[in-house]
Amino acid sequence: MAMSKQRGFPRGEGPWPWLTAGSVAISLLMLGALLLLLAVRGLGHFWPAPVTLVELQDGSRFAGMAVKEAPLPGGGGEERLYHTANRDLEGSPWTWVEVATIEAERHPDDLVVLERQRWGAFHGRLMALRGGDDGVEGQRKVGREDALVEGEAAWQSLVARLAELEALRNELARLRDDTILPLASRLADGENATLAAELARAEARLRELQMTMESGEVLLESVDGTRLWQPIEGIVRAQRPNAMSVPDKLAAWGQGVWRFLAEGPRAANSAGGVWPAIFGTVLMVLLMSVLVAPFGVLAAIYLNEVAHQGRMTRLVRIAVRNLAGVPSIVYGVFGLGVFVYGIGGSLDEWFFADTLPSPTFGTGGLLWASLTLALLTLPVVIVATEEGLARIPDHQREGALALGATRLEMLTRVVLPMATPAMLTGMILAVARAAGEVAPLMLVGVAKLAPQVPVDGNFPFLHLERKFMHLGYHIYDTAFHGSDVQAALPLAYATALLLVLVILGLNLTAIFLRHHLRSRHGRLPRH
Amino acid sequence: MRDAFPPSRYRQRLRQGVDRLATALITAGGIGVIVAVLGIGVFLAVEVVPLFWASGVAGTVNIDALWLPQTYAGLDTPQFRWQPAAAMPDETPRYSMAPLAWGTLKAALWALVIAVPLALGAAIHSAMYMPRRLRSRLKPTLELMEALPGVVIGFIAGLVLAPWVERHLAGAFTLVLVMIPGLFAAGMLRARLPRPWRARLTLGWAGLWLMPWLLLLGVAAFELAPWLEARWFDDDLRGWLATRFGLDYASRNALIVGLAMGIAVMPSIYALAEDALSGVPSSLAEGAEALGATRWQALWRVVLPAASPGVLSAVMIGAGRAVGETMIVLMASGNTALMTLSPLEGMRSLAASIAIELPEAAPGGTHYRLLLMAALLLFVFTFLVNTLAEVVRTRLRRRYRRLGGA
Repeated sequence: MAMSKQRGFPRGEGPWPWLTAGSVAISLLMLGALLLLLAVRGLGHFWPAPVTLVELQDGSRFAGMAVKEAPLPGGGGEERLYHTANRDLEGSPWTWVEVATIEAERHPDDLVVLERQRWGAFHGRLMALRGGDDGVEGQRKVGREDALVEGEAAWQSLVARLAELEALRNELARLRDDTILPLASRLADGENATLAAELARAEARLRELQMTMESGEVLLESVDGTRLWQPIEGIVRAQRPNAMSVPDKLAAWGQGVWRFLAEGPRAANSAGGVWPAIFGTVLMVLLMSVLVAPFGVLAAIYLNEVAHQGRMTRLVRIAVRNLAGVPSIVYGVFGLGVFVYGIGGSLDEWFFADTLPSPTFGTGGLLWASLTLALLTLPVVIVATEEGLARIPDHQREGALALGATRLEMLTRVVLPMATPAMLTGMILAVARAAGEVAPLMLVGVAKLAPQVPVDGNFPFLHLERKFMHLGYHIYDTAFHGSDVQAALPLAYATALLLVLVILGLNLTAIFLRHHLRSRHGRLPRH
Repeated sequence: MRDAFPPSRYRQRLRQGVDRLATALITAGGIGVIVAVLGIGVFLAVEVVPLFWASGVAGTVNIDALWLPQTYAGLDTPQFRWQPAAAMPDETPRYSMAPLAWGTLKAALWALVIAVPLALGAAIHSAMYMPRRLRSRLKPTLELMEALPGVVIGFIAGLVLAPWVERHLAGAFTLVLVMIPGLFAAGMLRARLPRPWRARLTLGWAGLWLMPWLLLLGVAAFELAPWLEARWFDDDLRGWLATRFGLDYASRNALIVGLAMGIAVMPSIYALAEDALSGVPSSLAEGAEALGATRWQALWRVVLPAASPGVLSAVMIGAGRAVGETMIVLMASGNTALMTLSPLEGMRSLAASIAIELPEAAPGGTHYRLLLMAALLLFVFTFLVNTLAEVVRTRLRRRYRRLGGA
């Protein structure tokens, strides 16, 4: 409806149109608020927050970051939650305090935040470092017990030592993946003296590296005076957030985001990164696309180009369209019953009978998950492709046939190239839907924690029977099944943001493609 | 140029052979795929039937046990219980589908209560009042909203929204109360504004410039809330609800689920309803306006009646989605199989039960088959609803064509 005369207000519309405008505004606000919340919480987690040294009226002290405030039960003031870390010293990394009882809050520069592999984070002061690096590689082991560094020098050498540790860890991982594992698998195939010697050499080097890593401890003191010795190799990252400048924080933020994307989860999914989940999601979606694309296009071509257009085709078309609206969990049930228990169970009986009490394909896995999602997205691809095929004017087909082309040639040379954007749109929509779908995966093969990604250097390289991690399920698991929800919450936010970004990106591509398609072929009548 | 010569007879026959083969393959593949997709319903039915059929086998159940209240040992009145895993070794598991079906319907109903007004309002506004340029931006934006994964919405609803509303119950209540009068006030205030201002704040763009106004209303509502709570609710809304109506407030309740699922379902209802409304031949509305009707009157008397089947089918498709949505209910509802009317308590839906329990159920057992029956119910329900909606929409399209539109 043309709106050109919208200057001013059409007389006497009354109050009701304002409600309709309000519902547009409310919807947009909700969408905006959701995205903003995810972006702020998800990205803000990696920003090195200042550590506050809080002194209470009763004289006790702790160091932590304020997380949230809530009114006290029964009214009368607020209470505040601090993340105080030090789970090994105090039992819980969280402290609730009544705001009114806080005596003083300070931000001393020398407070350190250590991220550790065990016991979570540590907040406190770095007192001393022993057995640390004194600059010369060979001297490290000699007399490391007495080399005690204190004060600022301790911090400097801790930073240097952590950088070195990072390099050592990388070298260790490279050595294990590139040398030892291939050698071991080759040795398993046939005994060979030179290979064995090579392996022994590599293992010696591995032990040497591990020895180098196991050197040095730091003496830590929490703000209330408890001291402990912490081995340096158990520290992942050390920061003094109060002493950092903005560019420093920015660098630390970038590093944090990178670690989140590139590392695996730690501490029962409540810390670390999501790399296996990203990998699992992408791999599963790729497999699904490979499965769904040919079949979806085939079915669409059959329905639109080959089948006799009559009552039957129309019914089938409506049925296929409706299957897109069937709940995804129903597909999951189908996948579990038919693929996992049915086909997978039979495969196990025929080919993997020797390991039978423990199932190989008879349990959820990558292949079954991809197949289930392929079935789930099949209607999407069929409908989108059919729409594209229906948009192609009949005279194009007739022209090709009149020039002597067979039906196959007409399809492959004329119709399919013209329908390519529609197929792509369908595929992208299918991928976007599959990437966000979690419920069916819970039945057919997603895992809480899968340390091995389904692709590795061992034959057959792609392990279709393995369970895998998924971004969506990772959100559900970290947020609802962790032992410490409060600690896992920021990671769940970040994961959710990542998932939403991926899906929005895919959808925007699809919208753009569809727009392109419409402007290329013009608006053809709907059928 | 090969094709300049008449093709040899051999080549001709080869081409035709390849063509026939390809057609046969496409036909076989196409029919195969379609049968596979349609096979879902058949599979579920085949798995569920033994539940009622095989008499004498342990694990048969009768329909009464599933849907009517049962008297269980230790309880005096007949009740609905869904306790598939017995707590004590000597207890029998209790299978009553009624609370699950009830939970599903309750969640879907509240989702529709939130989503339908929002979606229809937005559809009416964008079909009747919005300038074309804004409309072509709004549609893809709301489509993006549709693509938000359920697990993300469920996470926000269960872990952020639910505790927040629990803490600010009075504020949230006031916000709802203030919203509608606030929108009317916006229209009235605008009419009082000087002309240049009024020319800028048109009704067509109101969807955008009302957003800061709504934020302002939100702030005002939260300022107002403590006063309101003190005046009407004895300074404690939760306590007042408990003493006056006997309503227990559960943090993850039907209203939270409804709101979250409403957000998830609203875009699809909007898209279909907008299609139906803007598909009404414009000559109808223009005729009404030429006879002196306002645009709202034209909408109410002419456009909406003409498009009502399409709007109805949009709502039906929304209902189908709400019934089957799993992750949001799973994460935001608390998953307790209750049968209460209260919107302030949790529930457990069919889909969530399947997601939680099916991986642990022994294949072939009663529990497994019952969960499959739950899936069959969902399948049949959504399939029927969607088919009905599709039929209605096809009819409507034919009617529009007869009226000479689109």
